[in-house]
Amino acid sequence: MSYSLETISPLDRRSNAQMDELLKAEGIRRDGHLDYSCGLFDDDGKLVATGSSYGNTLRCLAVSSSHRGEGLMNQVVSHLSERLLNNGYFHQFLYTKEKNYRIFADLGFYEIARIEGQLVFMENRKGGFERFLSSLGDVKKDSACIVMNANPFTLGHRYLIKKAASENSFVHLFLLSEEAGPIPFAVRKKLVLEGIKDLENVIFHESGPYMISSATFPSYFLADEDTAINAHAILDLKIFSKIASHLDIHSRYAGSEKTSHVTGLYNSVMASELPKYGIRFVEVERLSKEGETVSASTVRQAIHDDKLPEVINMLPESTARFFQSSEAESVIRAIKAMKDPRHY
Amino acid sequence: MEILKPAMAGTLESSDAQVTVEPGNGKIELSLESSVMNQYGRQIRQTVLETLDRLGVTSANVTMVDKGALDCTIKARVECAVMRSCGKSEASIPWGGMIK
Repeated sequence: MSYSLETISPLDRRSNAQMDELLKAEGIRRDGHLDYSCGLFDDDGKLVATGSSYGNTLRCLAVSSSHRGEGLMNQVVSHLSERLLNNGYFHQFLYTKEKNYRIFADLGFYEIARIEGQLVFMENRKGGFERFLSSLGDVKKDSACIVMNANPFTLGHRYLIKKAASENSFVHLFLLSEEAGPIPFAVRKKLVLEGIKDLENVIFHESGPYMISSATFPSYFLADEDTAINAHAILDLKIFSKIASHLDIHSRYAGSEKTSHVTGLYNSVMASELPKYGIRFVEVERLSKEGETVSASTVRQAIHDDKLPEVINMLPESTARFFQSSEAESVIRAIKAMKDPRHY
Repeated sequence: MEILKPAMAGTLESSDAQVTVEPGNGKIELSLESSVMNQYGRQIRQTVLETLDRLGVTSANVTMVDKGALDCTIKARVECAVMRSCGKSEASIPWGGMIK
């Protein structure tokens, strides 16, 4: 029997139906976000193996149970990883059910974290995660951690950081390095660094691919079902617990969340999961200015509506200066082009 | 030869090997995974290093996932990945020179 490897276009209803059926038979949830799918078809046009990708992650990998042991997954993964590499993704990730861990370990993927009885999160770099940990620098005693998107950096972020910095000897501040919103990472980083210049016990890090990235937490960036968000959040925190134990972090701070659904859910998962790893979760009531809660989404909305002066009291001097300068033109244009600047 | 950009050659199918080369920092770092590691790990490693040496590669991060490839296959995959990584695969492969 020979198989042919073909791309499965989103428009190809017949192949997509076969893919759905195969995934369902193998007990795999079809991911809501796939930017590429392929499959191996037998001589009769029947789908016997499938795999997909989104960004730098391989997803929805399955081989029909009647075709095990023929090395079909090898073909699918070869094809996907070559394609991802050609698209510039050298560092690749995947999740698999715990029982299929061995298959992917034999294909050059290495474990980052696992949730017992459920899934294993893997990367194609040997020791990639360990290298990330050692790149974080010195371990400091009595330290807390904040992970933020700062999209853009407001007085609310500063309030949270300052509070953590006053209650702990050190604060590890991780800024999401994924390009997701209208404000580029380089700009977010610049505004954060300027905004925390005077806080000496804050240590700045880039989050890299291991914290709230589209690999660990895809539903943070793209709407998905609550069950998926929960599962992603649990995995993300599992990885975080490893980072925390490396850096000796005992607390994680976050602002309370009322508007963003996914962040709210993430906070509640943090409240229940972090204590399991011996990490205290501190949810800080958000800063208010003249009765209105300070939030980056409100600021984005105001910029979108051309009403920056209305939110200027929510911004530190450095952020305000940036948005009034000519440097910000392209960023402002990007925010204005958004249909729903509040989202996420 | 200098590794300019990451490149890959080969597949994960049986009797083949998937080789990825990336720019390195002054030395050769080889990460090898093989289905016949216990039997042939040392031999495979040596073949990869010899091939890189013949190609004049002195700085690279090389990842290889071997599925029981023969030496000639390993050489070919390493050569191909290196040629792709320095943009030679389109035009000027040194047949009969470095590639023997």
